[in-house]
Amino acid sequence: MSKQEQGSGAPGPAQRGGSPSVADTDLWYFAVRLGEGRYAFSAPLVTEVVRLGPLTRLPSAPTFLLGVFTHRGEILPVLDLGDLFLHRPVTVGPGTRATIVHAEPWRVAVLAEEIEGLVRVPKRRVGPPPAAQAAGEFLQAVVPDDLGDIAVLDMARLVTAARARSVPA
Amino acid sequence: MSEGSCQLVLFQVGARVFASRATDVRRIAGDFPDGVETALGETVLGRPWDARRGLVVGLDGGEQTILVDGVLGVRVVPDADIQSLPRFASDILATNALKGFAVLEEMPTLLVDLPTLVREGPRSRGTPREENPPHA
Repeated sequence: MSKQEQGSGAPGPAQRGGSPSVADTDLWYFAVRLGEGRYAFSAPLVTEVVRLGPLTRLPSAPTFLLGVFTHRGEILPVLDLGDLFLHRPVTVGPGTRATIVHAEPWRVAVLAEEIEGLVRVPKRRVGPPPAAQAAGEFLQAVVPDDLGDIAVLDMARLVTAARARSVPA
Repeated sequence: MSEGSCQLVLFQVGARVFASRATDVRRIAGDFPDGVETALGETVLGRPWDARRGLVVGLDGGEQTILVDGVLGVRVVPDADIQSLPRFASDILATNALKGFAVLEEMPTLLVDLPTLVREGPRSRGTPREENPPHA
């Protein structure tokens, strides 16, 4: 299973005597919030969290593709998850932070209402995505932790669905 | 022009500034004796406010004029300041005419492929973007 498909094993202590280590049984995700919903990418796909720079808007772009900005000389597209999932754009201000997700071949700055951070979930608790849920078409799994369920996003599905929404029939 | 750089024509459509390679522009039209009916008005770049200028593009043995609001000048830009459109954006956008960015004063300015813009035609009847499978 690739990193795109599954969360990351944590860098835990070395395994001893054949017993499972933390690295073998837990997966790491990077979680964000949109309203009451919690969403996550597999942790290794998240390279950093940055402050959003001045945006250059893209003509004829769907509203969830907010524009691009330069970060250390690299031009990054900005994806508004609030607009894409809930049709409720995230408010952008001088302090807005974006999560940079690098899932080959895409590298995207993702906007959400709140950044939660790293979450560790036992591998055995990873479940399939529900059939009917907002953003269900973008999901690869659902993982629960003490605060509730987290919907794990699949970048390839997200791009496919976003493309379908952006091209007029 | 030095090696490792290119000339860009900067132009404006509505409130936005765009760039195109100077080699794509045959000339700049300042008046339209035949009227503007045959010129390309609204495109994926938007609708010009007053269309005072035209970028004349050579295409398929003929010429086509793209109406713009103003031509801001020509800039020589190092190749290092030209970046392609991020893959995510090119996968999402419904046009092939946006090829990348020229970083001018640290701000990305959209680089437009004018022949492609002409081929795609007016926005209302633009041709669909080439398919680019997400998993390719």
